[in-house]
Amino acid sequence: MTTAVQPSGGGGGLDRPSSSGLADVIDTILDKGLVIDAYVRVSLVGIELLTVDARIVVASVDTYLRFAEAVNRLDISGTEQKGLPDLLEDVTSGGAKAKTRGALDAAGDKLRDILGDDEEEPVSRGRKGR
Amino acid sequence: MRPVAAETDTGTVTETAIYVYGILPADVEIDDDARGVGDPPAEVTTVHSGPIAALVSEIPHDAPLGRPQDLTAHASLLDSAAAEVPVLPLRFGAVVADERAVVDELLDANRDDFTAALEQLEGMAEYVVRARYDEQAILREILSENDGMARLAKAIRGKPEEATRNERMALGEHITQAIEAKRAADTQLVADALDELVEEFAPRQPTHEEEAVNLAVLAETDREKDLEAAIGELAKEWEGRVEVRLLGPLAAYDFVVTRTPE
Repeated sequence: MTTAVQPSGGGGGLDRPSSSGLADVIDTILDKGLVIDAYVRVSLVGIELLTVDARIVVASVDTYLRFAEAVNRLDISGTEQKGLPDLLEDVTSGGAKAKTRGALDAAGDKLRDILGDDEEEPVSRGRKGR
Repeated sequence: MRPVAAETDTGTVTETAIYVYGILPADVEIDDDARGVGDPPAEVTTVHSGPIAALVSEIPHDAPLGRPQDLTAHASLLDSAAAEVPVLPLRFGAVVADERAVVDELLDANRDDFTAALEQLEGMAEYVVRARYDEQAILREILSENDGMARLAKAIRGKPEEATRNERMALGEHITQAIEAKRAADTQLVADALDELVEEFAPRQPTHEEEAVNLAVLAETDREKDLEAAIGELAKEWEGRVEVRLLGPLAAYDFVVTRTPE
């Protein structure tokens, strides 16, 4: 699964969600904010706090192999016909990408409608504890 | 130190505790329909002490806490408050024995700190810039900038993983490092672009291998449009390479600090 579902927002390419998605919320409220002194806080007697592990990016063998495979696929999809510098130029100047943008955007909108506004970060983002 | 107990001063066992969301000025009014954590979502009220108040709701002692709804309730309550008034957000999961403990041990014990911090936050809120690289675009960019990596890419092309494991490991490691370097550079670009518009920066740890930027800023809510415009310009420049999101206004989670207890 890739990030293709992520809406790219209107016009300028800036996505401006009106409220934070769950992934953003988790990154924020479990990890940041004031902490009450331990002795003030009820020791959560009876209250089961369902903690969620903080997600930290740790470079791993899996990551390396995944990147390598992505490169492998990347090569198959285009580099045979073109040298890399040419491709880069296409990317930076917007080349072929710009032409297909309208259609892609429309598809993005559709997906967004189906998924609800803030469906995001579908990729392998850490785990949720329970 | 006071032992933690589920008892009130009258000695009766309470069945509820007080969940605390954050601290705000005492003159703020809370909507009657504001709801917080719990199932069903609890009514949100304030507990006052002088110029400051705590945003709270009751929570049963035996309630599990931390469902997705609880997390979003905590966040959206504080964030919507932060759009209007200064708020000191508490980390999720702060539960205090009863209202008296909120006053005595939280509000009164930290009154000067809280009051000063709320004054500093007046008119400001947190915004978070989060950006993610387009995988194909960033891989092409990296390969084009480094002959060694381009060679490795060629070496593994079309070959099975088992036969090219060493090359793949080397390539993946180089790519990870290259992305780290790009992340640092692109985060700096965002910071430079916003320098005039924000009071403070707080870089966050990346939460994804292909994250380009994860940067919290503290800015005047009046300048939100300027902020959007500045980020929008970068997003336009990066189109096809980086997807950019701007979150906020949020409560200033990244800009409040807990002092270590003496």
